[in-house]
Formats: sequence, structure tokens, C-alpha cells
Amino acid sequence: MSDFSILGYGLGILQALLIIVLSPLIVGIMRKIKAKSQKRIGSGIFQPYCDIIKLLRKDEIVSDQSSWIFRATPWINFVTTASAAFFIPVFLVYSPFGVVGDILLVVGLFALGRFFTMLAGLDVASSFGGLGSSREMMISVLVEPALFMTIFVIASFYGGTNISTIVSSANDTSILIVPGILFALIAFFIIMMAETGKLPFDNPSTHLELTMIHEAMVLEYSGKSLALMEWSHAIKQMILFTLFIDIFFPWNFAEQISLVGISFGIIIFIVKVSTLASFTAFIETRIAKWRLFRVSDLIAMAISSSMIGVIFFFL
Amino acid sequence: MSENLSIVYVIFAFFSLGATLGLFTRGQKYHTYFTYVPSAFASFLTIVLSIAIFSSENIHLTFFNIQHLFDFEIFIDGVAAFFLLIIGLISFAVSIYSLSYSKKFDDKKNNSALGMLFNVFIISMILVVISNNVFFFLVFWELMSLTSFFLVIYEHENKNNLKSGLTYLVMAHLGTGFIFASFILMYTQTGSFSFDSFRDVAIIPQYIKDIAFVLAFVGFGTKAGMVPLHTWLPKAHPSAPSNVSALMSAVMLKIAIYGIVRYLFDFNAIDSSPDYVWLGVGIIAIGSISALVGILYALVENDIKRALAFSSIENVGIIFIGLGLSVVFAAFHLMSLSVLAFIASMFHTLNHSIFKGLLFMTAGSIHFSTHTKNMEDLGGLIKKMPWTAMMFLIGSIAIIGLPPLNGFIGEWLTLQSLLAVFQIPSNILQVSLAFAILTFALTIGLAGATFVRLFGITFLSKSRSSKAINAVEVPRLMLIGKAILASSCVLLGILPFIGINLIVSAFDLSYTPSSPFEAISITNTVDSNFASLLMSGVLVIFISVLVGIFAFVRIVGGKTKTIKYGTWDCGFGSLSEKTQYTATSLTEPIRRIFGIFYKPNNDIDVNFYAKENLYLKKSINVISTTRNIFDEKLYGKVISGSLFVLDKIRKIQSGKVNAYILYIMITLIALLLFVGFGTHE
Repeated sequence: MSDFSILGYGLGILQALLIIVLSPLIVGIMRKIKAKSQKRIGSGIFQPYCDIIKLLRKDEIVSDQSSWIFRATPWINFVTTASAAFFIPVFLVYSPFGVVGDILLVVGLFALGRFFTMLAGLDVASSFGGLGSSREMMISVLVEPALFMTIFVIASFYGGTNISTIVSSANDTSILIVPGILFALIAFFIIMMAETGKLPFDNPSTHLELTMIHEAMVLEYSGKSLALMEWSHAIKQMILFTLFIDIFFPWNFAEQISLVGISFGIIIFIVKVSTLASFTAFIETRIAKWRLFRVSDLIAMAISSSMIGVIFFFL
Repeated sequence: MSENLSIVYVIFAFFSLGATLGLFTRGQKYHTYFTYVPSAFASFLTIVLSIAIFSSENIHLTFFNIQHLFDFEIFIDGVAAFFLLIIGLISFAVSIYSLSYSKKFDDKKNNSALGMLFNVFIISMILVVISNNVFFFLVFWELMSLTSFFLVIYEHENKNNLKSGLTYLVMAHLGTGFIFASFILMYTQTGSFSFDSFRDVAIIPQYIKDIAFVLAFVGFGTKAGMVPLHTWLPKAHPSAPSNVSALMSAVMLKIAIYGIVRYLFDFNAIDSSPDYVWLGVGIIAIGSISALVGILYALVENDIKRALAFSSIENVGIIFIGLGLSVVFAAFHLMSLSVLAFIASMFHTLNHSIFKGLLFMTAGSIHFSTHTKNMEDLGGLIKKMPWTAMMFLIGSIAIIGLPPLNGFIGEWLTLQSLLAVFQIPSNILQVSLAFAILTFALTIGLAGATFVRLFGITFLSKSRSSKAINAVEVPRLMLIGKAILASSCVLLGILPFIGINLIVSAFDLSYTPSSPFEAISITNTVDSNFASLLMSGVLVIFISVLVGIFAFVRIVGGKTKTIKYGTWDCGFGSLSEKTQYTATSLTEPIRRIFGIFYKPNNDIDVNFYAKENLYLKKSINVISTTRNIFDEKLYGKVISGSLFVLDKIRKIQSGKVNAYILYIMITLIALLLFVGFGTHE
């Protein structure tokens, strides 16, 4: 577990890079599946990569009302989300950077990115940005208790908030289907949908700005900044997916550093994460966006589900 | 020891010098320097003194010995030194800030009184912390309350300030009454007014200690702004001039925390036995409620300083949660967890002093430069006051507990101690403390929303009024004052062990200090890593990711142009400062969801061109209001109830002399009977 060699750190960086690099692919897969289930052909699964590269090469238009906050936000957003990727085990049961931060730090880093995104939404002096920030504010306020309760359940079960500890003890545990964890899974799934702006919380592909949340905040972005914003959103989604499978489906991790183990681990990881992505995308095509004030009911469900998890743990 | 003592004398000499010079240099050209330079110097010496105490022995001294009641004893141990450090650090920054800030009142009024009261206020807080005797503690406590009362009504031309000053005076004395009762109760057991006798474990029966602690907790809690005795705080703190608001919120609240810590851990109000679980749970419950209620009202407040005052209630709540957890863990003999919770609580105390001082000074700068505290009139200040905006941003990120600043460390430690409740061997407690996590998480979320709103509406987008358009950056000395605290936020965030080691040595905790570059690490029962955090490591990752992505974007993207253009207006071309989101509309969804706390109300008044045609509207007026249910439901009832009782009592005062003679007669007879029966027994 405590292998602090250069190889160890190299593998840690490789894990983070896998998340960062593969994240647009997952977006592409999800779009493809959505298109297929809507009887469309859809663009190829590598389209998000082309989008990012294309956007990086484009000129930018910046609102004359905006300040440095608007221009710094994409960078801050990318740095916080990509830094969070360093703490997530991908194919190993641990992350060599585990000693630096735990799941609470990951939550904090996401919150820092979101803080700046909300400010950027307000910065451009348009009502769309304010609208997005206002709604994001509401959802983030409500998601926070659900998230911390879920973390509480998981930390109590697996003896730690350190993600490496959680994953390695989850990997060691033979019985995974315990009621507490099952309820935490339900809660975490709802949180994941809310945090990544999925239906029924948010519909990023709508043509009406009035129904958007995340997209309304980033409406003014173009060029490089937009590329960074989209990419960091993809990374955030990837991190949450990875955390989900790390915590709830911790099978076939590489426990020792060996070439076979690692390549097997990577393949298993890609299979697991694409399955989860397909499942999420499939769910998304089955439901419509909910009215904004009904969203709180869904989050209340997540809170109560994690609360039941807590009670199951202590019984 | 003797050098430390002489530092104490010099501190008092300089504060007195500042106070006197402030009074006698009225109208002089450099009078602010005469007042605030001595206070800055003395505050700096206070920091030196507290650090000296950490590394050497305590000061314990009795000055004069007339009767045992009037002994003036000072006792500076680590606990006192820790709070002296808070007083010193914040007062130092605020004094430098005041050098320029107090010029705001130059033309209008007697500026010298502000300078004098400012110095006396700081010195009274220092004296409260170091006195070791009931009598002098209460005298200085009263001095602190009264000077702050005069500072609250300093701008007495505004009738609201007088009103809030009165509320403050009443509530402060209510609190003092409880503290007084608690001390008297302790005195009846020990027969001495010295705090030394209170420290004696053997003398006082435990149930007396319990009652005394509860009384003291209510008393100090009133001063700290715990819900439901918080109502004075959001009124009084914003009314004072901003340098004083900074001191009141950042320091004076901590003096109340000092009182509670003294009682809990120094006067042995608690013990390692499960009997004290109720005490800890009570403190946690009050802390959670304070945190939630404080931040809920901060979120909808349009006055910047009032919003900050409400957020102080929230932070005091978080401090209480830590203290309460520490008591609960100690009750179950989980000593290392108890230490963890205590460190969390004290770390947050230190943090809150720093960032709340910073934020109040920034709010003062905004007021200094725009003459308004109403967020709906502000906006776009980041272009006019870039440095102030930067300071406010740092303060906001710190206070809502985001990495990599100090607030995150405080909240991380508090959360870790909350997450550790699964080690408590009691199921009911575990589940009920899970609710504390729930409220704490909700509080963190709401705090984030509050400060997005405070920063976003005040500093970003278009200016909403001419006041904001004409704003200019504040003088350099005000910026320096803020920069001192802003850099402490960054330093404590990245090297948290500076703060933790300080707390460990101040409170003499059983925990080995580590080097600042080590990770904070918590192990679980099977000795594997429960959690660890290394902020300097996080910073390294930040920088390397930033360098990596910057290089990637440059290589892949190449050089591109950035064009400045108007915000997208859907082609209508009518974006103005009126079309952007306002402070009120930004929180509309949250106001609706938490409607039971706010009772939001929209009064819509539509005027038509003609009564027959309801389609052509001339104007639409919307007045959106929220209400404070605590002020209405609780205080309204209490006030009307006491008015009713007082009205009945007034009938006794008839104004007739013979009636009063009758009262004297009755009293005399009653006393005679009392004495007579008393001697029989």
C-alpha cells in the first residue's frame, strides 16, 4: 500500500491522466447511446475530442462587462477538477497521492470550482448567467447534506474518508450487498445525477436557455475558455463515475504493481465506467426534466436514503 | 517571567496613551496617528506576549490585597495567551486599517471619542482574558460591554443605531446577569472570589458545577450570539463603525468562547464520565441550530454588514459543535477524538477571527468608498476597487471553507470529528449526531450560496447605482490592514500545522506537535489511515496541473485572439443594470424552499392604463419581503409579555407618599419576621 517509489507516483499520475484523457470519451459514449435510444444516428464517440481541439484553436469573445473572475474561472475550474482526479484510484486499489487528500478534499475542490463558475455566471451582467447561478446555488445547497450523509455512511462502513482506505477495504470485503451501502448507493446515484447536470435536474442539450442550469452559467464562454469549461465538466463527471464504481463495485483492482494486473485493471475500469455511463444515459432518455421546485423532492429522497443507510449501519 | 510582565505593563501603557492622546489631540492634523499607532504597537506587543507565554511559564500575580473580594489577580496561562493572540492579531490589523478609515468621520463629528473608545475597548477585552478574579472579571466584562455599546451608538444620528444599541445593552446585561449568577453560585461553594478556587476539583459538588455551567453557558452564549439569544448581534454589529464591527465580531465573540472554554476545561465543569453526554449533546444541538439559523438569515440579507453579522452566528455555531463533540467524546473516554474535536473548534475560533475581521474591514471599505451598505445599490466594484475585491474574495473563500485556505482546515477537522461519532458506543447518540452532520452540511452549502451572493452582487456585473459607479479604491493603509489578515488566511490554509501546534501548546493537549509540512493524519481503530490532508501537497498538485494544462492549451490551441464585445442580449440590445440578477432574485429559489424560516411575501401592485383593459399594464411594482421568525414569534411574545407584567407592576408606584410608607412598613415587618424565625432555627 505504501509504495512511494517513482514508479508508484508515476502510476498515480497515470491514473489521474486516465481520468482526464478518457473523460471526453465517456461524454461521447453517453451522447451516442442517447442518440441511439432516440432513433438517431448521432455523432461518433470521439466527437467531444474534436470539439475540444476545435474550440482550443478558435478566437475568443469576452464580454466587456466581465472582470478577471470571468477569464480566470475556466482555468480555476480545470485545475480544481483535474487536481481532484489525483486522489481517485482507477485501476490500483489505492492512489499514491492518497496521503495528500481525502474525499472531503475532493468535495471541497468541486465546490471551489462551482463557486467560481457561479461567480462567472454573475460576472457578465446578463440575466441568463444570474439565472443559472441562482439555480445552481439552490441545487448545490440541497445536494450538500445528501453528499455528506452518504460520505458518513461510507466512511463509517469502510473506516475512513481517505479514498484509498475506502477502496482497499471495500475490495477486501466479500459481502458488498449490505443494506446500509445499498441505500448509500441510491443516494450517491441521485447526487451524481444532480452534480453532473443530468436529467431530471438539468438538461444541457436543450435549446431554451430558460431551462438550463449549468449551460446558462457558461453561456458567455467561447474558444479556449469554453473548451476548458466543457472538459472540466467532463472530468468532474468522470471522477464521480469512477468514485461510484470504486466505492460500490470494487472488483478486480490491481493490488500489486505488475504489467498484467495493471493492463487488466485498466480494461476492467473502462468496461465498468462505460457500463455505468450507458446506464446513466439510458435513464436520461427515459425521463423528462422535472420542474425546478420538484427537484428538491428528489434530493430529499437522497438525503432520507442516506439517513436510512446511517440507521442500518448502527443497528 | 519578568520580561513578560514588563510587556504586559508596556501594553497597558500604550493603550492608555492611545486613548488619552486620542482624546486630547482633537482636531489636530495627524490625530488618527496619535490614536491608532499606539494601539497598533500595543496590539503587536500582545502578539509577542502571547507567543512568549507559549514558550515560557505562566504569569500569575496578585496586585493588591485589600480584601479577598478586591484582589486584582492576573493569570496568563496558555488558554489566556491563545485568546490574547487573537485579540492582538486582529487589533493590530484593525488599528492600521483605522488610521485611514477613521478619517471618514473627520468632517462630521467628534472623531476623538472613537479613538479613545477603540483603545479602551481593546484593553478591556485583554483585561477580561487575563483577570483571575470574579470581581475584576465582571468589572472588565462590563467595561467591554459598555464601551462597545457606546461604539455601537457612535453614529447616533441614525435612529436605527440607537434602537439596536438599546437592544444590545439589554441583551448584554441579561447575559452578564447569568454569568454573575453562575459566579455567585460557585462562590457560595468555595468561599473565594479567586478563579483559583474554582479550579479546585474537590470542593464543589458536581451538581452545583452543572448548574453553574449552564448559567454561565447561557450568559456567555448570549454574548457569543447563540440562537435564540442572538437577536442583538445582527443589529448591533453592523451599526458600529466598521473597524469596531470587525473587533466586535472577530474578537469580542471569542471572549465569550473564552469564558465557555474556561468553564468547561479549566473549572472542570466536565468529567470523563457518561453523565456529561447530555451537556455535550446540548452544546452540539445549540451549535447546530445557531449555525443553520445564522446562515439562513445571512443568505437573504441585503445589508452587507448585517449579512456578515448573521454569518458570525453561524460560525459561533460551528465552534460550539466542535466544543460539544469534544465533551461527548471525553465522556466516553475517547480522549484522542476529544482532542481532535477541541483542536477543530479552536482552529475555527482562530480562523473565524481572521476572516471575519477581514470581511468586516472590506465591508467598511465598501461603505467608505460608496457610502452604502445595501447590496442592491452596488455592483461592478471589482473594476473600481480591485484590491479590496481580492481581499473580499480571499475572505469569502476562507469563510465558506474551500481549499486551499484556512477555513477549509477548520471545517475539515470539524467534519472529521463529526464523522468519528461512529466510534461512540451508543446507537441513539450516533443516529442523533448524524443529524448534526446533516445540519452542518446544509450550513456549509448555504454559506457557499451566501458568499457567492455577497461577492457576486457587490463586486461583479454592472454597477447598480451612481454610488457604485463613482467608487474609488480605498487608501493604502486600509489595504495593508486587510492584507495582514488575508495573508494569515493563506498561511494557515497551506501550513495548518502552524495553527494546530499553537493550539496544542496553548491548551497543553496530549498530542505531539508536528512539522508544518507534514500531513494532518487521523487513524482509525484498525490503525489504517482514516483520513489525511496535506495542503502544501495540494498546492503542488495545483501548480503542476496549471502548468500542464497551460502548456497543453498553448501547444494544441496555438495563439488566438481575444475580442471584447458586449454581453449576448438575444439581439434585443437592451441590457442594462436593471436586467441583471439582483441580490433578492438570486436567492428566490432558496427563499421558497426554506419558506418556513423566511415567510417570503411578494406584494404585486399592477397599474393599468385603463381599468377596462387588463392587458396594457402601465407599471408593475413588486415588493418582496422576508421576515425573521425569531424576532417576530419569540421576541415579540417575550416583549409583549414583559410589557404586560410591567404594566401590572406599575400600579404599585402610585406616587402617593403614604403608599410608599406602607411599603416600607411591610418590608420592615417582613424582615423582622425573617430575622426572628431565622434565629430560632
